[in-house]
Amino acid sequence: MPVSTLTNVRFAGLATCVPKRIVSNIEDCRPRMRAERERLVRNIGIEFRRLCPEWQCFSDLALIAAETLLERLRWRREDIDALIVVTQSPDYLIPATAVILQDRLGLSQTTAAFDVNLGCSGYPFGLNVLGSMIAAGGVRKGLLLVGDRCARLNDPIFSDAGTATALEFDVSAPPMRFDLNSDGSGCKAIMLPVGGHREPFGIQHMIPTREDENGDWHWPGDLVLDGPAVLSFSTQRVPPAVERLLAYANTTREEVDYFVFHQANRMINETIRKKLKLPEEKTPSTLRDFGNTSGASLPVTMTARLCEALESGRRRLLLCGFGIGLSWGSCLMETEGAVFPKLIEA
Amino acid sequence: MTDIPSFLENFLAACDFEDPVEASLETKLKSLPKWDSLAMLAIIVMFDMEYGRSIDGSHLKAADTIGDLFNLLEG
Repeated sequence: MPVSTLTNVRFAGLATCVPKRIVSNIEDCRPRMRAERERLVRNIGIEFRRLCPEWQCFSDLALIAAETLLERLRWRREDIDALIVVTQSPDYLIPATAVILQDRLGLSQTTAAFDVNLGCSGYPFGLNVLGSMIAAGGVRKGLLLVGDRCARLNDPIFSDAGTATALEFDVSAPPMRFDLNSDGSGCKAIMLPVGGHREPFGIQHMIPTREDENGDWHWPGDLVLDGPAVLSFSTQRVPPAVERLLAYANTTREEVDYFVFHQANRMINETIRKKLKLPEEKTPSTLRDFGNTSGASLPVTMTARLCEALESGRRRLLLCGFGIGLSWGSCLMETEGAVFPKLIEA
Repeated sequence: MTDIPSFLENFLAACDFEDPVEASLETKLKSLPKWDSLAMLAIIVMFDMEYGRSIDGSHLKAADTIGDLFNLLEG
């Protein structure tokens, strides 16, 4: 898709909910792994993560974020025309989680509700999909719920979060500009290979295949993550995409208040930041405290690091997500008068 | 032309081994105390940021010694 512009779409607000449980990558591991974990934390920058209890789904976090946001906005539920959920941790394989949330949130049956299956890149795509429905005139107010339940105790990268974003039709809104990209040739770089129609789950997938040096068993259905491939993709594709969007919008780095990147790991994020010659103060990070929250990492960072700054005046943001797919997208937008409640823990 | 001592210094700094390691171009990567995915990621970043050279996982898998990696700079 070429770079594009949406008009008449106002960013009305954002709320983020994370689980209460905090896991430390250093403290909460086997004592013999401690030195190795300290080296890992030094390099990936992730010290703490949030972990859902067994019973909690991503949708439970997103529901609380949406309820909080609607209350702050004083929006009537019957005025919500569209509800889009961007997740790869749905409540069920079918039906779509967005349809279930339409009912749980008490929204009208005239609400258009559907899921988008994207991970770390999902936030700019979700803004574009909902924004396009609003710009086309059919939707006056809409909610975008983004996040995943992807954390596991022994995996030091991922962390759980649910977020809610509100967009509305407003002829005075500043333009939102987008750059959205996909490369399916890299689909195996990050993949859950078992459980879909290519390889349905079977009894053979219940047998662990190997024990690693830390004593953790690995299963055929585990997430496959080719670290070098993901790092090369991220550090080579993202900087030129950001440059392209800035050039399209005729905007300089200095005119952007904050560049919010997907929080992948410190190596990836620092390489991208240095390649784009961006100062640290313009690239807020939540890696240390919240890890990699998949598609939620942009809104998590906006809430946890910028909520006061974003509520205090007009701010120009460049948001950039990248990852599983492979997929990467950016959105250049302005906020003014939007609501950004403080981080919610549930 | 990149000088060998500074390459070795950058290599060891990037790998961030827990204990001091002696290394030369002849050192086999698999003999290093932790030639793991974290070290590999760090070396990809080092090539990109220090030497302006893009390498990927296939380059690292094909390399046997630190010297094989050094030779990628000349390629």
